[in-house]
Amino acid sequence: MRLRHTGVAALAASTLVLAACGGDDDDAEGASGPGLINFYTDKGAWEPQFLEVSDVSETSLGLGLEFTGYSDAEQYSAFVRQSFRTDEKPDLFTWHTGSELEDLVAEDLLAPTSDIWRTAIDNGDVPEAMQEHFTVDGETYCVPMNAAYWVMYYNKQVFDQYGIAEPTSWAELITAADTLVANGVTPFYETNILFSFVWFQTLLAGTDPELYNKLSTGEAKYTDAGVVEVMEQWRGMLEAGYFGDPGDQTAPQDQLKAGTVAMINFGTFLSGQLNSVDMVSGTDYDFFVIPNVNPDLDQTSLIFETGPMCTAKGAENETSALQYAEWWMTDEAQTAWANARGDVSFNPKALVQDRLLADLNTQSGSGDYQLLERYFEATPTPVLTAALDGFSAFVTNPGDPLPILETIEAEAAAYWAEQG
Amino acid sequence: MTARILRPAVLLVLGAIWLAPIYLLLVNASKAPAQYAADQVWRPIGDFALFDNMREAWEIGGLGEAVTSTLLYSIIGPGLAVLFGAAIGFAIVALRLKHGFFWFVLVFGGTVFPLQMILMPLFVGYVEAGIYDSRLGMIAIYTAVTVPFAALVMRNFLGGIAHQVFEAAVVDGASTWRIFWRIYLPMSTSALVAVFILQATFVWNDLLLGLALSQSNEVRPLMTAAAALQDTYGGLQLTAVLAGGLLVSLPTVVLFLSTQRIFSRGLNLGQF
Amino acid sequence: MSAPATAAPTTPPHGSAPPEPRRRRRTTYGWSARGFSVPAVLVVAVLLYLPFLWTTWISFTEYNGLGSPSWVGLDNYRAMFDDPNFATSLRNTLLWVVGSITVPVGLGLLIAVLSHGMRFGGWLRLPFLIPYAISGVAVGVVWRFVLQNGGGLSQALDALGLPGADLRWLSDAPLNTLVMIGASSWQQSGVNALLFVIGLQSIPREPIEAARLDGASGWRMFRHMHWPMLRPLTTVVVGLSLVASLKTFDIVWIMTKGGPGRNAETLAVTMYEETFVNSAYGAGSAVAVFLSVVTFLAAITYLRRQLSPERVV
Repeated sequence: MRLRHTGVAALAASTLVLAACGGDDDDAEGASGPGLINFYTDKGAWEPQFLEVSDVSETSLGLGLEFTGYSDAEQYSAFVRQSFRTDEKPDLFTWHTGSELEDLVAEDLLAPTSDIWRTAIDNGDVPEAMQEHFTVDGETYCVPMNAAYWVMYYNKQVFDQYGIAEPTSWAELITAADTLVANGVTPFYETNILFSFVWFQTLLAGTDPELYNKLSTGEAKYTDAGVVEVMEQWRGMLEAGYFGDPGDQTAPQDQLKAGTVAMINFGTFLSGQLNSVDMVSGTDYDFFVIPNVNPDLDQTSLIFETGPMCTAKGAENETSALQYAEWWMTDEAQTAWANARGDVSFNPKALVQDRLLADLNTQSGSGDYQLLERYFEATPTPVLTAALDGFSAFVTNPGDPLPILETIEAEAAAYWAEQG
Repeated sequence: MTARILRPAVLLVLGAIWLAPIYLLLVNASKAPAQYAADQVWRPIGDFALFDNMREAWEIGGLGEAVTSTLLYSIIGPGLAVLFGAAIGFAIVALRLKHGFFWFVLVFGGTVFPLQMILMPLFVGYVEAGIYDSRLGMIAIYTAVTVPFAALVMRNFLGGIAHQVFEAAVVDGASTWRIFWRIYLPMSTSALVAVFILQATFVWNDLLLGLALSQSNEVRPLMTAAAALQDTYGGLQLTAVLAGGLLVSLPTVVLFLSTQRIFSRGLNLGQF
Repeated sequence: MSAPATAAPTTPPHGSAPPEPRRRRRTTYGWSARGFSVPAVLVVAVLLYLPFLWTTWISFTEYNGLGSPSWVGLDNYRAMFDDPNFATSLRNTLLWVVGSITVPVGLGLLIAVLSHGMRFGGWLRLPFLIPYAISGVAVGVVWRFVLQNGGGLSQALDALGLPGADLRWLSDAPLNTLVMIGASSWQQSGVNALLFVIGLQSIPREPIEAARLDGASGWRMFRHMHWPMLRPLTTVVVGLSLVASLKTFDIVWIMTKGGPGRNAETLAVTMYEETFVNSAYGAGSAVAVFLSVVTFLAAITYLRRQLSPERVV
């Protein structure tokens, strides 16, 4: 009886092998028929939103996205890098500005997009200032996939309960924090995983935006007096109990909702996450642009991030992918995108439904703000890795910042020396 | 006599501790997203929303498409691996393969390489061989990564079978193939099944290889699709992520449940 | 079903059985033996060894995943040994090895021995197997519930009036490594128990009965009869735990990303961070090669002792 069982199992297994081999040979080449572009992203969770926009493009452009999402940013990066060695070059893929983009350009792997940008800027679809972040040695590559600004979200009920108004200066922000601490409420969200750089970015950009920029280009050192001062200020805030537990891995939206923290310094993509936990924009939560630490600055420093959407040179559908990239910048595409995501858009003409985000979208274009690239993209990768490690240790055990800064600086010095 | 009470008692207490995290998983996967709160993870509160959460994860994750292919991988890959492992074990132990230890170590050595590091060369090799994003390719790699474990267990298990069994069969005039298929394999059912379910579970839960070697919905395994439910930039609610995680784990839990009988059989050793 | 056939004709690997005549019979089955070995050797060689060869080559180069790698000789290895974090990784990895071949192996043995031969033993074993069956995504989320500051563990300790509620489980070294070893034991013990159960099942009835008639029972019975006969499966369990613990990656990466400040990093995490986060493929590959060589040597030393022909077969 048992013998028959094994025999049957073996037979079944071999049939399945045959079925498996026969069934999918035609899939092996990738599924991009006419009108479909292979699209890869490490923002796998955004699949529904990308597909929503793809529906729009299928009718208006005749091109749709064949979506492949990664949930792991690191492996995604490795996959894209390796794919350039093969025939599976991605038609369209999301990437990062800064050194990641420079790496690809250095090997001449990307299709240039300077012409697309010129048209878009002429149409008023994208602020001209954004182009420099996509330009390497005079040539522009990729188009912006999204944009986000880093602002301060707050729980409206908590603010109302303690009679706190939106702060318009750093002093008011600190007063608000003191009020909250006095009432036993933790003012700010903090984490020691990944986003440990956020407050460093805010404090430095709000104190000395020039130094912030120089740090990312290697013209300033992490051990410079200005940087040390900012770290000391951060340490003071940490020790004053302004921050939530960095070891609390509860998602930021859940912490804000529960009132565990009253404020979160985060990118505008948090709106979508807050909406998903049934918090209502303008009723349950709101946000404000973080005032400068240094009141003497002319413009308010506003951190923005943008992720490029690129096309590989020599990709199977290079031409239609570039067409898609061009369409992506239009207000039609951006209206669909921003509303699908519940986020802002880089296109000022996009009609953003969320009132708070729409206001920010128009404000950011006015001359009152100095846009600064997010630390995460502005910093070369090896330096960033060292910095994230250093900051995560610092927020977990606040202490003398100098050893941490020296470690980061050692990494930075090595990097910039190599860049010549 | 005390042992008769003590043994189940110890197991029950330990088992209860073991189930505590599972309890957390169930309770929080059953909460409505709006009612989930981080400081009340132990308390079941609000409506029972497990099935709603599961449905949400199922639909948003597009998990349906991945089930067939994953089922195929977790049956065929480990199935072949168990056979291959038993075969080399049989060759070493019964047929006294020359330099058996060397070949055994060679096969077992396959486990020492960190999988993460062979992903990139595998990806490039797969594209060049034309098996990137194909079910054949996925089955091949799942077989390869599960063979070393199968070889180790089967070699050691078969080592426990007396060589007289083999010699007697030879005297009866049986071929080596027949001895392997009709005598050694049936004698090691429990080990074969154990290796199979452990490795099938491993394949079912694999994230890494699926991510690197497949792309289309028809080929991508389940966990790769499920993992996309949550990442740094948001995605599903925590409750739905848990419910989705629970849902995709159900088949493996059922597999363990249904094979328990096999491990309760065999010799009853009674009390010590 | 033909139940008793499972293990009846077996004799113990050594002990009371008459010594095996070791004839030079191998020549007779040479080709047949090779034929049986080919499939396993082939898949492993092509799909695991070949790719790793590439990794080994990359470890002697500087490579960012684009363009062509440039040869730098032993630079990556030199840099690796000079890196102060390497010592931390090594220390944590050692902790993992020691932790993994004691706690989950010991617990697995305990569970197997307690549940074996008992009515409903299979059911009592089930709670320990469920953790292994649950998907990694869900397990990661659940353990974050349990171990984050003020999380499930702290809440439970607090409620029970036990000390330790304010410990920062995942933040402070080496506490974070220890609690993660605990979490991994939670997943692994059941698997080990299952493997031990198979070993117990293959123990023949006769010598046990004989020993029982001689008045052996309880601990003495286990120590002198079961334990020696469990050796083949003990080798399996310890061997696997050794290899798996040296390569510890998933749980550390999911729970802490190796931090804060790299204090929970293992060798595999260092390797991953260099390769995938920094795109320093050469440096990452060097760690991978070092790790593989150490794992290989550890495994071969252990298996050689355990599987030497005089003792088994």
